[in-house]
Amino acid sequence: MADIILSIKNLKKYFEPHQSFAQSIIGGGQKKLIKAVDDISFDIRRGEIFGLIGESGSGKTTTGKLVMKLIEPTSGQMIFNGEDVTRLDKEKLKEYRRKVQMIFQDPYASMNPRFKIKDVLEEPLIIHKVKATIEERTKMIVKALEEVKLTPAEEYMGRWPHMLSGGQRQRVATARTLILNPLMLVADEPVSMIDLSTRAEILYMMKEVQKELGLTYLYITHDLSTARYFTDRIAVMYLGRIVEIGRADDIIDNPLHPYTQALIEAVPEPESGKVNIIKELPIYGEIPSPANIPRGCRFHTRCPYATDACKTEPEPELMLDGEEHYHACRRAYEIKAERSAKAAG
Amino acid sequence: MNSLLKVENLEMYYFTSKGAVRAIDNISFELMPGETIGLVGESGCGKTSLGTSILRMPTPPGRYVGGKIFVDGLDVIPLPEKEVRKNIRWQKISMVFQGAMNCLTPVYTIGHQMMETLNEHADMSRADADSLIKEYLGYVGLPPEIMGRYPHELSGGMKQRAVIATALFLKPEIVILDEPTTALDVIVQAQIINLLKKLKKQFNLSFMFITHDLALEAEVSDRICVMYAGKIVEFGTNEQIYGRQGPAHPYTERLLAATPRLFKKVEKLHFIPGTPPDLIAPPKGCRFSPRCNKAFGRCFEEEPPLIEIEPGHMAACWLHHRG
Amino acid sequence: MTFGDIKYRLNEFWSEFRKERSGLIGLGILIIALLIVIFEPLILPWKDVNTKWRSIDYWQDNSANAPPAWTNAFTKLKAPVTMRLEDAKKEETELDGGIKLVTYTFDYHYTADKAPLDVILHITGHGDIPFQVAIERPDGETIDLAQRFEQGLSGQDIRLSIDNDGREAAFTFVKNYESQEALEQFSGKSLRTADVLFNIAQPGMAKEFKPLKGTYKLIAKAMLLDPENSSVEEPYIVVTGSVSGILGTDDSKRDLFSGLIAGLKWALLIGFLTSAISVLIGVMYGIISAYFGGAVDSVMQFVYQIVNSMPVLPVLIVISAIFKPNIYMLILVMVLFFWTGSVMTVRSMALQIKEETYIEAAKALGAKKSRIIFKHMVPILIPYSFASMALSVPSAIVYESSVSLLGLGDATIVTWGQILHDAMQGAAILKGIWWWILPPGLLIAIMGMTFAFLGFSMDKILHPKLKTR
Ligand SMILES: Nc1ncnc2c1ncn2[C@@H]1O[C@H](COP(=O)(O)OP(=O)(O)O)[C@@H](O)[C@H]1O
Ligand SMILES: Nc1ncnc2c1ncn2[C@@H]1O[C@H](COP(=O)(O)OP(=O)(O)O)[C@@H](O)[C@H]1O
Ligand SMILES: [Mg+2]
Ligand SMILES: [Mg+2]
Repeated sequence: MADIILSIKNLKKYFEPHQSFAQSIIGGGQKKLIKAVDDISFDIRRGEIFGLIGESGSGKTTTGKLVMKLIEPTSGQMIFNGEDVTRLDKEKLKEYRRKVQMIFQDPYASMNPRFKIKDVLEEPLIIHKVKATIEERTKMIVKALEEVKLTPAEEYMGRWPHMLSGGQRQRVATARTLILNPLMLVADEPVSMIDLSTRAEILYMMKEVQKELGLTYLYITHDLSTARYFTDRIAVMYLGRIVEIGRADDIIDNPLHPYTQALIEAVPEPESGKVNIIKELPIYGEIPSPANIPRGCRFHTRCPYATDACKTEPEPELMLDGEEHYHACRRAYEIKAERSAKAAG
Repeated sequence: MNSLLKVENLEMYYFTSKGAVRAIDNISFELMPGETIGLVGESGCGKTSLGTSILRMPTPPGRYVGGKIFVDGLDVIPLPEKEVRKNIRWQKISMVFQGAMNCLTPVYTIGHQMMETLNEHADMSRADADSLIKEYLGYVGLPPEIMGRYPHELSGGMKQRAVIATALFLKPEIVILDEPTTALDVIVQAQIINLLKKLKKQFNLSFMFITHDLALEAEVSDRICVMYAGKIVEFGTNEQIYGRQGPAHPYTERLLAATPRLFKKVEKLHFIPGTPPDLIAPPKGCRFSPRCNKAFGRCFEEEPPLIEIEPGHMAACWLHHRG
Repeated sequence: MTFGDIKYRLNEFWSEFRKERSGLIGLGILIIALLIVIFEPLILPWKDVNTKWRSIDYWQDNSANAPPAWTNAFTKLKAPVTMRLEDAKKEETELDGGIKLVTYTFDYHYTADKAPLDVILHITGHGDIPFQVAIERPDGETIDLAQRFEQGLSGQDIRLSIDNDGREAAFTFVKNYESQEALEQFSGKSLRTADVLFNIAQPGMAKEFKPLKGTYKLIAKAMLLDPENSSVEEPYIVVTGSVSGILGTDDSKRDLFSGLIAGLKWALLIGFLTSAISVLIGVMYGIISAYFGGAVDSVMQFVYQIVNSMPVLPVLIVISAIFKPNIYMLILVMVLFFWTGSVMTVRSMALQIKEETYIEAAKALGAKKSRIIFKHMVPILIPYSFASMALSVPSAIVYESSVSLLGLGDATIVTWGQILHDAMQGAAILKGIWWWILPPGLLIAIMGMTFAFLGFSMDKILHPKLKTR
């Protein structure tokens, strides 16, 4: 068995819809729970980059926040490093926060605009009372900046976030997470706000750091195109559920769930000869609201292959295909056959 | 065939307190009827500036410094604003602004905001405007009820569709699309691209499609215009840029290498270190030279002209100057 | 934040602020006001105004309701200006029997068209001393005005008013020129001493005043009967004119300019303290309400609504009437109401900041609530609240004035509101004593405006909402 660092079991997060104070007293109005994360289970192995992929609204950020323990799960269990971390007291939580760190989507927004880079990086040290003297702290800050290739570090320390480019800011954000020597990083769309030319640069840097320090990443993105290079395994999430999970190569080369297939087909490829072709997307419409999850298979409203069974039968659980490739589509093989027939003829 | 739009030696600078930002620096090209030109480059290279300049509304403190913009053979730069509003903007050229879907006012309904744009550019009775809006909502695949909705009630894709509908109201010939899908998910992006292709055929439109994503450009644009630091560095057909032989300019080449590929297993992603230069004082010689790994002596001294390296394919790089 | 950071922020702020004309005007006035407060001791014509504002003795040498001295510029008959003569020529002569005579001679240049109201000698002495006052007129006449024998002096102030003490002598002097019948028309009582002393000596002088202009010598003599054990010092003479000072006097003879200058620091103190404390409370209240949300927020908003809907002035008046508070109590009571001013803005901004990613990032790093509030939220909100602080200064000044206007202010200090109140009491408007009403009213308005200007300009710069519009 592989060494599991984080194990998530039947995790759910239901949000209460917003209500005014008066409403909540009177209790009027039917409450429809927002099922942002609706029973997900997966394991992340030590030292791997685990990708969580899906459209916006599919519950990726909520999952990330659950893992970060920024929000409390409605139900389910989280085991980190062999320890149940589902509910933690203040002490334990602080300890956990040292081990699990987060990189946010918008590197600019994730830093207080009134903090200099030095202050940004010093904050975790102060919070966790890591080093007493300023000299020691400065040494650690310099080291962290060098780790993310922001050199000379002294020059960057005195700057304000707005004086840096998007890529540099995301490097600082990464440095901030590294300074406490965490075990795991949650990166929520770390490059989606960054120019394409710099995107690769950041991912490259993050991967180097990961290899060097033996870190584990939970990498959240809606864009599959960076996933093959960056991740080891991928979980595809749709409307609060994981619909497919497996090795990155398997998922991309042999997608079994029609939603994964749609995600793949939608990615533009820089090749000529497609200008006047309307792309056939094996998906309809837009993602429904998590307050109104369709019955049966939750994807059936958008699935071109859905049958009556998909609408009426209970939602399929994850099924194993091959070595470690799971999917949640009861028609996976029929669809595969249909698609290859179509491609051939 | 006569061009719909002809830009000649256009120069547009932002006159800021720190100096003139040379955002558009001597740019020339032509847009043919029914054609899509893709405008690519990193952010800060002047793509949006070129778009707003063509629409004859450079953002202050931007001013035209030189050059001409012919729309149907008529230079629009000297025209009075009133004339432009009556006959050019939205009538002949319209624009989907960068981030427009996020700039919808939260306190007004979508219908109200569409109506406002319509009133600004055309005299029309309320009833006529109303039915026109509904008609165009239909074209972009939105139900008429959307008119009564507020922006926060709609998804990003729906808002972008509404913005696109607004750009089409007065039957323009040219639509400038500034990063219309940048903030959207891949699936919604693909849906919007399909919609744009459909609309283009239906209304016989020409597009200027602005994006920083070369992969996306490959799917929509007949010809690609690569901008760097306020200048065109390469201009070629879809085949010339994306085909087997590959692009001519090192900048395009490196942009393409930095574009992630889904089906190509790569060991190391490529990227272009550094950022585009400050356009107040751009580097001497070729503006890309400080970041270019193929640059040699001449590149740092002299600015390369944009020359035709094969029929229909232009590049501004000393590597393509023989002798 | 280090000093360098603060300097950077201030520079940034200043580069924006300097474009705001009204803000610069406000800043200019504020700086002038602060300079006045700092140099108050040098500026005050009446040095002890702060402690002696309500002392009748202190002001008794002035004339009541005297218009400002500069009004002379607009009248045909020039009135004498109240002035204090301090430079005396001192002479000491030994007399027989070990007695020492000390003579002080003051020069008074009289140029007005009307007579002064009084001439008053002040002197302090020790022991048993006979005093004598005389005047030597430009026409060579010398009149011995009054004498008095003071015994057992131990440093108290001796005051000799010629109007009172010199009436006899004046009457005698007039007799030299006027016929008996002319004199009979007046009783000695109705004659004002100064009208005689500064009149041209000729028949008809009892009826008509013709100024004898020139230099008068006012001579004060003190006899030290026992020079070992007695002494005199610090003599000065006040010539009480009918116009006085920069801004005149009120009906209690108080110098209004001194009062207003002394009131400036209180106006600033009331404004600053009230607004600073209430804004600080308001900011904390708003942040806590926003940050904790939920039930805490609901309760806090409820309290806020109640306080906010209470009318300040009536409550302030009732409290002042019951407790006769001092100024700090008054400020405290105002703070109790004023803190609500910034709560809503701060709360809504804090709600926004709370959702910022960097707050979430700090939480993810393990930051405690107190760190998030004090390190991340307060520093961002404090600058914005400077604006609302500046905006609440005027109302604090006006409220104190209103309370004072009802006679309920702090009785140990001078405030503009109290001066205005006294003016109302003294029916200044009816009597046309404009110099009593206009200056304090204008000053209150100007101070209010100054801070309003500052506040609006800061608001424009610091408040992102206004900036984008
Ligand atoms: N605090 C919240 N209260 C109510 N609904 C929420 C909250 N956070 C997220 N949601 C909803 O949960 C769904 C999933 O959101 P999110 O996890 O942000 O998805 P993703 O990151 O995949 O875009 C969305 O429909 C969102 O509106
Ligand atoms: N309103 C403006 N004032 C001053 N400079 C501007 C303004 N708009 C854009 N610029 C500058 O002009 C250059 C080109 O910007 P832009 O056209 O927005 O590029 P792109 O759309 O390719 O990202 C940039 O250097 C940018 O900083
Ligand atoms: Mg998200
Ligand atoms: Mg742009």
